[in-house]
Amino acid sequence: MNLNDKVLAIMREVFGIEEISTDVSQKNCERWDSLRHLTLASELEDAFDIELEPEEIAEMTDFSRVVEKLNEKLS
Amino acid sequence: MTTFIFRNQTVEPFFGDEGVTYSGYGDISLVPSDVDRYIWFYQVPVNANAVQLAQEILSYQDKLDLVLKSVDPHKPFIIFSLVNLFPLRLTGDAVTVDHAVMAFNRYVTERVVGATHVKWVDFGDFTSRYSDVNLVNWKFYLMSQTLLNPKLAHDFKSWWSGVERGLALQRKKCLVLDLDNTLWGGVLGEDGVDGIKLGGDYPGKAFSYWQQALLQLANNGVILTVCSKNNEADVQEAWDNNPFMVLKREHFSATRINWQDKVSNIRDMADELNIGLDSMVFIDDNPAERELVKQMLPQVEVPDFPDKPHQLMPFFKGLVERYFRIYAVTDEDRLKTQQYRANAMRRSQQARFADLDSYLESLSMQLDIIPADEHNLPRIAQMTQKTNQFNLTTRRYSEADVQQRIDEGWRIYCMSVKDRFGDNGITGTVFLEPLDWDKMGIDSLLLSCRVLGKGLEDAFIASIFNQLRLEGVRRIVADYLPTAKNGQTANFYDRLGMNCVSVDDDGAKHYEMDLDHAIEIKNYYNINIL
Repeated sequence: MNLNDKVLAIMREVFGIEEISTDVSQKNCERWDSLRHLTLASELEDAFDIELEPEEIAEMTDFSRVVEKLNEKLS
Repeated sequence: MTTFIFRNQTVEPFFGDEGVTYSGYGDISLVPSDVDRYIWFYQVPVNANAVQLAQEILSYQDKLDLVLKSVDPHKPFIIFSLVNLFPLRLTGDAVTVDHAVMAFNRYVTERVVGATHVKWVDFGDFTSRYSDVNLVNWKFYLMSQTLLNPKLAHDFKSWWSGVERGLALQRKKCLVLDLDNTLWGGVLGEDGVDGIKLGGDYPGKAFSYWQQALLQLANNGVILTVCSKNNEADVQEAWDNNPFMVLKREHFSATRINWQDKVSNIRDMADELNIGLDSMVFIDDNPAERELVKQMLPQVEVPDFPDKPHQLMPFFKGLVERYFRIYAVTDEDRLKTQQYRANAMRRSQQARFADLDSYLESLSMQLDIIPADEHNLPRIAQMTQKTNQFNLTTRRYSEADVQQRIDEGWRIYCMSVKDRFGDNGITGTVFLEPLDWDKMGIDSLLLSCRVLGKGLEDAFIASIFNQLRLEGVRRIVADYLPTAKNGQTANFYDRLGMNCVSVDDDGAKHYEMDLDHAIEIKNYYNINIL
């Protein structure tokens, strides 16, 4: 599974929705609220074995920024 | 089911949002009435000022008190105990925080529990598995006020579903145990009576602890059974001759030691014990056997068995938590210690009287017969779950089952007994099902074993019959359904003067009686029908 698919799978689980695509963002997804945002961060930390700082978590407001941050952490 | 959670921290990661709504942080001003149940889940907040923190914790008692006064007392209200997740023990006055936490928890257990719909959950049971470092994740706490580490959400959910199972009083009744490599190490048929690993050093020691723990479970009312592919004679020899054997034949209510498939053996035992397959838990070290039972008997719980003997005690703890715990501490439970003491006194008195009648007369027994209501309903359900010996039909009911039968017009009574040595509380119940305008059937009749031996069962049922007769009931039907444990009740209805009309192959007996005259009751029972 590539990174995009893995992130989408986690988002599906955390947000509790089936239909999700790579253009998902906090703005266009009602279920991506502040609490699920933290759950998402926590799940991403566990799934990729990384630590995200609060400032970084705050910046991850849409799918592409999430993937960008993960790539940066994983490289 | 919808739940409203009173909380002072963020707990959404643990309970989600399916059918769950939350109070504001520490807010009790809004108590919604359109929910099915309430949860009180406060946590000790973070505050380095111990005195201030202790005061805040003490104020939770008052808040909880106010909330309990304003909620519908018929709806379940579940209270989590307080746990200090991040104790700062910098100075001597930190102890004031511990005291405040203890005071809150004592307040809940002593005063609040006992109210029918209020139940108490030991949150420490969950938190004690983790160190302080893992319990609080400061990053998430500071970002979202989630004090309990959200990374524990998965663990919490599985723990909580176990707790909820317990809260619904759907606890399991029976453990089905394999023998080789399950109750002892090694294979009896190969290693011999003295070659199996039991007692002595590791790993035998681990199996000894495990057997002792299982014995305690049996003493607390859980039925133990054996289902093993073995030669029965070998096993009997091991029970008789292995000095380290804790669990022996007398501890097992049913055994199937043969070479038949376990699925039919388990079905058989469920019939023999008159319990549902859904009240059984199957323990076997062999994954193939477990898989077979899982496939063929999906109602039976089949937990994985630990690979290593040193994992047996944590495994045991998990079993108790998942299947065998009761969460409502009833008044009856708390009275028990006193009652055992009073019973001991009673026994020593017994020797001084010429006959049992004069002793019984001296007891000044008072028997209150009380229709089922919201106060005694949990106790009635609990008795149907736990009573094995004096139980004519051994039908198990949850609180919801009992309520449903009341709603369907059944007459359900319990009896509360006291004498000059003490109050035994509610210790018997009878379920009467209306069958015709002048005819009732006894669905269940049981008495707790701690009041047996005083003729109370006769007085109880005779009073009920006399009362029904006054109300126009003319015919009573009843059954005796034999189990491994209720042999002492086999002739109870005969003794009472009922006519046995048929006996089934399995020993079940069916009775009838015409209520054409009042039944005489010994005059030393002071009977009160409420």
